Parts: sequence; structure tokens; C-alpha cells
Amino acid sequence: MQITPIFKKEIVSESGKLTAKQRRFAYTGIVPILLYMGLFTLFPILWAVVMSFFSYTPIREGSWFLGLGGQNPFVGIENYIELFTGTGKPAEVFRLAVRNTFLFTALVLPMNLIITLPLAVLLESIGERFKTLFRAIYFLPTISSSVALVIIWDYMYAPGWGLLSIMFKAVGLVPPKSWLQDPNTIYFGVPLAMLCVVIAHVWQDFGYNLVIFVAALQSIPKTLREAARVDGANIWQEFWLIVVPLLRRTVLLTSVLTVISSLQVFVIFQLLTRGGPKNQTQTMLLSIYENAFRFANNLGLSAAMSMILFIIILILTVTQFRILRTEWEY
Amino acid sequence: MNKRFLFLLSLLVTMSMLLSACGGGAAPTDAPSTDEKVELRVWGHQAPAFNAADQAMFDAFTAQNPNVTIKYETFPWDVFIQTIQTSLPAGNTADVILIPGGYTCRYASGGQLLEVPADVMTLDEAKEVFYAAPLGGQTCDGKLYGFPAEYNIEYGGAYVNPALFEAAGVAYPPKWENWDAVVADAQKLTTVGDDGVMTVAGLHYTNSDQLFTYFLAGILEQGSDYFAEDGKHFNFNSPEAVATIQKLMDMAQTDKVVDPIIFNADSEWVGESFAQGHNGIGILGSWYAGDAKLAYPDLEFDYVTLPPMMGSDYKFASVGGWGYVVGKSTQHADLAWKLAAFMGADEANVLAFNSTSGTVPAMKSVAADPKLLESAPFIAATLPLLEAGQYQGNLTDSDQLSYEIVYPTILDAIQGNLTAEEAANSIHESANAMVDAAQ
Repeated sequence: MQITPIFKKEIVSESGKLTAKQRRFAYTGIVPILLYMGLFTLFPILWAVVMSFFSYTPIREGSWFLGLGGQNPFVGIENYIELFTGTGKPAEVFRLAVRNTFLFTALVLPMNLIITLPLAVLLESIGERFKTLFRAIYFLPTISSSVALVIIWDYMYAPGWGLLSIMFKAVGLVPPKSWLQDPNTIYFGVPLAMLCVVIAHVWQDFGYNLVIFVAALQSIPKTLREAARVDGANIWQEFWLIVVPLLRRTVLLTSVLTVISSLQVFVIFQLLTRGGPKNQTQTMLLSIYENAFRFANNLGLSAAMSMILFIIILILTVTQFRILRTEWEY
Repeated sequence: MNKRFLFLLSLLVTMSMLLSACGGGAAPTDAPSTDEKVELRVWGHQAPAFNAADQAMFDAFTAQNPNVTIKYETFPWDVFIQTIQTSLPAGNTADVILIPGGYTCRYASGGQLLEVPADVMTLDEAKEVFYAAPLGGQTCDGKLYGFPAEYNIEYGGAYVNPALFEAAGVAYPPKWENWDAVVADAQKLTTVGDDGVMTVAGLHYTNSDQLFTYFLAGILEQGSDYFAEDGKHFNFNSPEAVATIQKLMDMAQTDKVVDPIIFNADSEWVGESFAQGHNGIGILGSWYAGDAKLAYPDLEFDYVTLPPMMGSDYKFASVGGWGYVVGKSTQHADLAWKLAAFMGADEANVLAFNSTSGTVPAMKSVAADPKLLESAPFIAATLPLLEAGQYQGNLTDSDQLSYEIVYPTILDAIQGNLTAEEAANSIHESANAMVDAAQ
């Protein structure tokens, strides 16, 4: 039986191309979005790229063309060379910030996955009513205001009278003199202040990955797990040999998202430690912000910092995709 | 007409509208006639006392000039700084801006601000009217760019808590003859818990602004200068600089009047810490008294004069203070200067502003007016010191120097991780690298 394409004429013309009316409709829909994206996304990115090659600050008068040139001269790759080899304080602090950002990410990623994956499996194994309740509880910090959460953690970490110090004393332990501001307390190369921020961030952020893992677990066909059980697999083997391999794509997704978000964390550092003590929690984004908006002469330098952060995120994301790439579906 | 042409035309119109919205203002026009309706825009930072004082002056100004309306826009501190950083060069700022002292020369030298017209006030006249330190904050390359509204002074005064003095058996109110007497009282006020954690700092001086202020003041009190001979670079590793850092270190490490790990800018900030009874003597500007009275109405405290720390005479550097300037993009320069002068150069209005905002006056005659102390008694402790202040000078980037270089390095030394010489050399090198990078 042949189906008559009654709407064919309204969808495409005889030649297979859109009609003039359809083109108009398409342009009307696309152009505002393109303009918006162009002005507020593409142009700022290009502007940052260009600025990174200039000794630029909006305070100085440049040429007629976007203030570039004149007192904001072209310096080629000098900003990048300064960041990699310079002896100025912003460059020194930035190099430290790169190291701290990687350290933060390296701590957050495994801690997040170690908590969220088993927790998701546990959540998936309980009744539907409790599952919804616990999922909401665990997701609550994620949707709460970051500022409010930081204030809570600030009270937790207060020296002497903070909740953590009181709890330590209650069980006979000696709490650190200051959780967030002691530069001399370092465990296995990780400053105490950094550990404190990592814990607060993971607590705030793990709800995202938890929800993703729960959704992924629900999509694993029950037949695979049942077949494993029939073959004699125990719960542990079922988890490691069936569930974890089938979650590989989800692990990739959550890893990429966690790495990207960890590299871009700002609020918790800005409000909890402001990069201290002794720049031990100074991150790339804090450095970019401070040089762009707090200090006067470094907008070009901070644009170069942004480009380096962009390249780092790009390389890490591509690498993660390549390492964890899977070729099969279920 | 070709539809593609129409489409491109509409695209261009849309683009031009968007870009013109992002662009700067038009060139100033001639002064309006007295009947013409004019709206002046004024920008300031969000501070209840400042804003209330400004609003009262706007009301008075518009009553005298019925053709003028004033649109007063205030921003949180960070937003305000970012806004003027981007808007001043773009030429789309308010007509009058209440700007922090250290920022005026930065924008004036970039051609973003108008010079005060000679018929409004000359620099020589201003020197007669205002103290040197706040006036320096509104002056650039020997030209006057604004009227200082207040005198920023973080030096020479401290908050004292009578309850803690009484509990420690220390005479109150304190009358210290020298710095050693301050430290001696501070030692008695200091309390350490059973767990070894300091619960009350006798003397809290390890805040960022205070360490920066006292570092510069210590150098000046010893008769030295922190600028190198060229007036741009710094001389931060002089014997006087090392001695000042050593003094700041000794108070924490030898006299143990503060634990710098617990008490610093990011933990137990001096103002809040004082209000909660966590320090007996808190070094901070008198400006905090108004905030403390509002936030902690039951708090008993006084603001007293401190002796010089490193010498026998008071000498200190000040960032200047807030001041009224006029942006180059104003459409009504004459009216803008009339308003700025009304707020910043009229004695009665300045007295009202300083009384309402609780700020130290930049105008000499207002500082001498007994009415000032009736409404702002806490200022009394700093009034004898005002002539001893000098403008801090062109520090290239004051914020970077104080918050990224001087404060963290000295705090590091006080916390026991650097010697005074190492700290001085580190500050010297970083500060001069900052100057070189800016040139």
C-alpha cells in the first residue's frame, strides 16, 4: 500500500529545498538566538582571546578600536610568558593557583565518585517512597544557595567555638587551632584548609552525580543482573562485574562534569577562605577574578589566565572522553 | 525591494541598536537654562549612613534648584568598583560620583574625570580648606579633581571593651603614654583556654588594613620613607621597614597579645571579633563605631587614642577618603560641579555629612566645630592626629600592594614562617615588580 504524502508540499518544495515562507520562519527563529549568542557569548570569548595579547586595562585610554592600542599596547605572548616564567606576584600566585586547582580537582573527583556511586546503588535498592525522600534530601544542598551553605560551613569550621571543634572536644580529641586559616597544618601534602573546602564542596555538590547515577542504574536491564545471579554471582560480583562496567558511560559523564565544575569552583573559595591561608586555597578562577576586577592593571593578564584555564579544561575533557570511550550499547 | 536586502537591513538595524546601547554617551552640551528640567545622576556605594547623609543633601539641593532632579544609584562595594572601572572609560557614568580616594588619580590620569573648574575651587584654595591626606586622594599631577568628603584613618585609634578591662583588672579608660603600655595592658587582657586556644586577644592588630597602615606608619614614624628616590618604586627593605615588621612579629610571638592564626582578616575580623568580646583592644578606624552601634546596640565600648608605635611622634599615610568627582561624560558639567561643591565644599553640608555618616572630616573647619562631636563622639580620639597624616601617594595599585603583597607577607612573618628581613625583602621585590609591570 502506498502512503500519499499529503503534507509534503508544505514541508519541502519539489526540489527538496525549503520554501521562501519556511526560510523566513527559520530565519525569524534563528536570527535572534544567533545575535544573542554572538553578542553575549561568542564576542566575549573572542574579546578575551584578543585581550590576552594586549597589556590592557579599561582604565587606560586606548585607540578608537575597543580601547586597544595606545596606552593599552599589543604585547604578543608576553602575558603568557609572564604567567609561566614571570617573577611578579600575580604570576607567582597564578602558578600556585594552577597547582591548587588540580589538587582540589584530584581530591574532589574520587571523593565524589566514592560517595555517590555506592550511595546510588543503596538508594536504588530501597523502597520507592524512601528512595524519593532520600534523593530529595541528598539533592537539597545542590539546589540551596551557595552563599547560605558557605555560611553554615563557616560556623562549622569556626576556631574554638565552631561545631566541629566542639565535637572534637566532646570525644576527647584536640581540634586544630584554626580549620581554615592555619598555614602550617598539612596532611600528606594537602593543607588542612584545602581539605576543609573539599569536604564542604563535595557535600554541596554530590547530589548532582547521585541523581545521574540513580537514573543510570534504573536504565540497566534487570535481565542482565538476574542472569548474573543465576550464574552464581554474589552482590559484590554483581556490582563490580555487571553494574560498574555498564555504568562506564555514566562514570565518564559524571567525571567530566565534576572535573569541569571543580576547575571552575569560585564561590566557596571566595567566601570561605578567599584563597588563604598563604594562598593555599587560591584557585585559578580566584586569580582571574582578582586580577580582572580587584586589581587595577591586569585585565590582559587575567584574559591570558582565562585562556589557559580554557585550554586545560579542553585537554582534560578530550582526554577523559578518549580514555573512557565505549563502543557498545545495551 | 529584495527580501534578502530587507532581511539584512533589519539585521543591521538590530545590531546597531544593540551596539549603541553598549556604547558611550554623547558629547557634553551647553549648560541648560535655569528653567530647563535637568536630571543629574549620582553614584555611590551602598552604606546606610553615607546614603542617608547624601540623600539629605540631595533634598536640600533640589529645593534650591527646583529644575533639577537627582537620580541616586548605589551599588554594593564590589559591584561599584567594577561598575566605575568599566563605565568611566566607556564614558557612560553618572554625572557625580562618590569615589574612594585612592581611585581618583587612577581615572584622572586616564582622562576619565574632569578637573575642578578654577571658578569653583583652585588647588591652593583647597589646601587651605582640607587636610593634606584626604586632599591628596582627590589630587593628581598637581591638579584638583574632586572634593574629599571624609578622611580615611585606620591609624592611632582603637576600640576598648570596658567589661574585659574590668575582668582583667586593668585600669579603664586606658591612658597609655607609650606603645609598651598598650602591650602591657594587652597581655593582661589576653585569655587562653584550657585547650591552648586563644579566646580573647589582648590586642587585635593583625587585620589586613591595620598591618598595611602600621607597616607604612612604622616606617614614617622612624623618619624614613617607603618610596624610592624616583617616587614610583619602593624602599620596603630599609632598616626601618625591617624594624617595623620585627615589632609587629614580637607582639604576637614574644608578647603573645594575639594569635595570628586565629585572629586575622579572614578569621575573627577585628570589628566582629571586638563586638563579640573576642578582643580587648581592637585597632580599627572610628568609622566602625556607627556600624557597631547599629548591629550591637547593647555593646559597651569606647574609642581611644593610641600612642605612636615606632617613634615619639605621630606620622602615618592615608588612602585619602571618599570624595565627589565629576565624570568626563557628564552632559551638565556646570550643574554637576555645583552639586559636587554643594556636597563637598559647603561647610554646613560637610558637617551634616560627617555627623550623619560618623566619618572623620576632611575639612579643617568642620573638624574644629564642637557640633561634630555632639553627634559623632567617637571621632574625638582621632581629631588630634589629623595634621600628622600624609596622602599615601601613587602606590601603582594600592589594592594589590596592600592585600596581595604586604598583608599576606607580614602575616606570614607574624605566624612564624619568615624572618623580618625575609618578609621585607619579599615585599620589596614583589612591590617593585608590580611597578615595573605597570610601566
